[in-house]
Amino acid sequence: MTTFIVRRLLQLPIVLLAISLLIFGMMQFLTPTQRAAAFVKSEQQAQHLDLVIRQYNLDKGFWVQYGTWLKEVVRGNLGYSKTSHEPVLTTIRKRIPISAELALANFFPIMAFGIWMGTMAAIHRDRIIDQIVRVFAVVFWSLPTFVLGIWLLAVLYGHYKLFGIDRAPTDILVAFARGDLKAYTGFITIDGLLNGRWDVVWAGVKHLVMPVLTMTLVASAQIMRVLRSNMLDVLNSDYVRTARAKGLPERVVNLKHARRNAIIPVVTLGGLMFAFLLNGIFFAEVIFNFAGLGQWSVTSAIQLDFPAVIGMALLTGLIVSIANLAVDILYGIVDPRISFQ
Amino acid sequence: MNPQDMKPQREAWYRSKTFKRFRRNPLAIVGALMLLVFVVVALLAPAITAPQLAEVRTARPCLRDLGLKKTEVVGALRNPLHPKFWRAVIAPPKSCYNIPRDGYSPLPKPPSKKHPLGLSGNSYDILYGLIWGTRTAFFVGFWVMGISLAIGIVIGGLAGFLGGWVDNLLMRVTDVMLAFPSLVFVMIIVSIFGNGITQVMLAIAVVSWASYARLFRGDILKTKAQDFVDAARALGASPLRIFLKHIFPNAIGTLLILASMDIGSVVLSFSGFSFLGLGAPVGYADWGQMTSFARGYILGTAQGTPFDFWYVWIIPTLMIVFFVLAWNLLGDAVRDALDPKS
Repeated sequence: MTTFIVRRLLQLPIVLLAISLLIFGMMQFLTPTQRAAAFVKSEQQAQHLDLVIRQYNLDKGFWVQYGTWLKEVVRGNLGYSKTSHEPVLTTIRKRIPISAELALANFFPIMAFGIWMGTMAAIHRDRIIDQIVRVFAVVFWSLPTFVLGIWLLAVLYGHYKLFGIDRAPTDILVAFARGDLKAYTGFITIDGLLNGRWDVVWAGVKHLVMPVLTMTLVASAQIMRVLRSNMLDVLNSDYVRTARAKGLPERVVNLKHARRNAIIPVVTLGGLMFAFLLNGIFFAEVIFNFAGLGQWSVTSAIQLDFPAVIGMALLTGLIVSIANLAVDILYGIVDPRISFQ
Repeated sequence: MNPQDMKPQREAWYRSKTFKRFRRNPLAIVGALMLLVFVVVALLAPAITAPQLAEVRTARPCLRDLGLKKTEVVGALRNPLHPKFWRAVIAPPKSCYNIPRDGYSPLPKPPSKKHPLGLSGNSYDILYGLIWGTRTAFFVGFWVMGISLAIGIVIGGLAGFLGGWVDNLLMRVTDVMLAFPSLVFVMIIVSIFGNGITQVMLAIAVVSWASYARLFRGDILKTKAQDFVDAARALGASPLRIFLKHIFPNAIGTLLILASMDIGSVVLSFSGFSFLGLGAPVGYADWGQMTSFARGYILGTAQGTPFDFWYVWIIPTLMIVFFVLAWNLLGDAVRDALDPKS
């Protein structure tokens, strides 16, 4: 197990290098002048583009350019974003807590709801609960995140004036910006707690309800489907019959014997869900007006502000590689039969 | 007995058990019927929207490219015997995909006789956008699916055929692609190559081949292990011949069927991206963009509650949902039919 983790950890830099090479390769479709513009911060610099080109070796061969670029990236110089009028890294640092809070708030409800519904459906196979859950799954799996988001926005926010958009009411955001409330982590809910202000926590939670509801309904459908079909397979297996035959209570058989084995493919799915979750969070940010990474990078892409998008791509590559690694390791913990050779 | 009769007869696909299982699934029938309606709507788009084409002034470029006069539009586009009818059904000019707008008012207008589903913000005709958006949906779905299938077949085929380190490398790449969020990839492509339908379509194709490559590789490995492949090898067939004549045709069937059922999700991602503003230019007939027109009103730029202008957001979103639902119902039924366990 330890050797496996170490070996997988050693693979991580190689994967990251490959991703960075791929992204840099795509940037070659831009002219050196365009790429130089990524490092330009002011009017004066824009008039001396040839200096910038020389400084970052943009007129040299591919590998020299890649080396220079990679060095800058590692040092944290991702260029300058026209959209946010500041260095890309600064914007990312500012906005990452907002997206992370949304992601964390989504992750647990999705998992819990999906697993619970999948178990219920499999245990009550072909009975009314199962039918309801199956219809629920097909319908919500067909609902795109942005469509469900718009519906909830129209009905809950537009009509009933519930919850509210953005991550908190304006006065709270202003209080954070002015320094009346101290931002320790950037998470509204946790900062509210650390400041000892329950109203802030409550406001933060209230504003998370709609995006979390949207994502949970859509994303848990897939988990539920996979868990249900695996659980049905497992419930028919010999050891479950044995467990029943020796008189274990139904609950123990279902939850300890059957579900623990049915959950393994859900872990595999977790890796794939991760990409889906990121996509969904970006959509949720745009729909519900969260000033997170997604909102910024989508605007940047439309305005052809490529340093911002490339910065996001590198960040995503990093997050995705680490998540894949985590899933691989988790796989071994959940299923000890898997050998890591 | 005549040796000809001894030859194993290939079972016709419509008599196979798989198809029978599929046919008996009520959900499959519902899905197929819904899809049929969409196909008919897409094909008859010029006929359905003929009144709008005739009456709204901004539809003129389309009429000019079709070579029709304002007065003869309804007569020509609703008459199958008219040559222009077939021109408009089979190869409508590009300008017809632009939604005609009746004025420049930023406020939506409720359904009227001239505009059966009303006007969305900036006075775009909703009915027109939805009907021609169906054409866009099929167009995008088939092209993207074709391209990503082609990439998936080549990569999966190479991995399955060559094996060894090539297989390892290709599958690692596939893993990364599977885990990479498509939105970020689309954003990279758009920020480098510019914003447009072609760019976004290519980006979706390039990011979605991975699951097909993996599926195809698995099917190849499964087929490789079967006896008839060993028999062919024992007869002295070359590896390439074994692959092309014995493995490939036997492995590709499932992939083609399952992949074609994913067209719904391709359209879903495309309309999602154009909802964000990536892809179709403003005013292009496309469901995602029609949905994004609605967001401003919900956030309170118009008077009244969202239900006062339900036609702006309910109808376009329902269109997307029903389209995807049709494909998903069909796809589920196909998967169930192909799965011998069920």
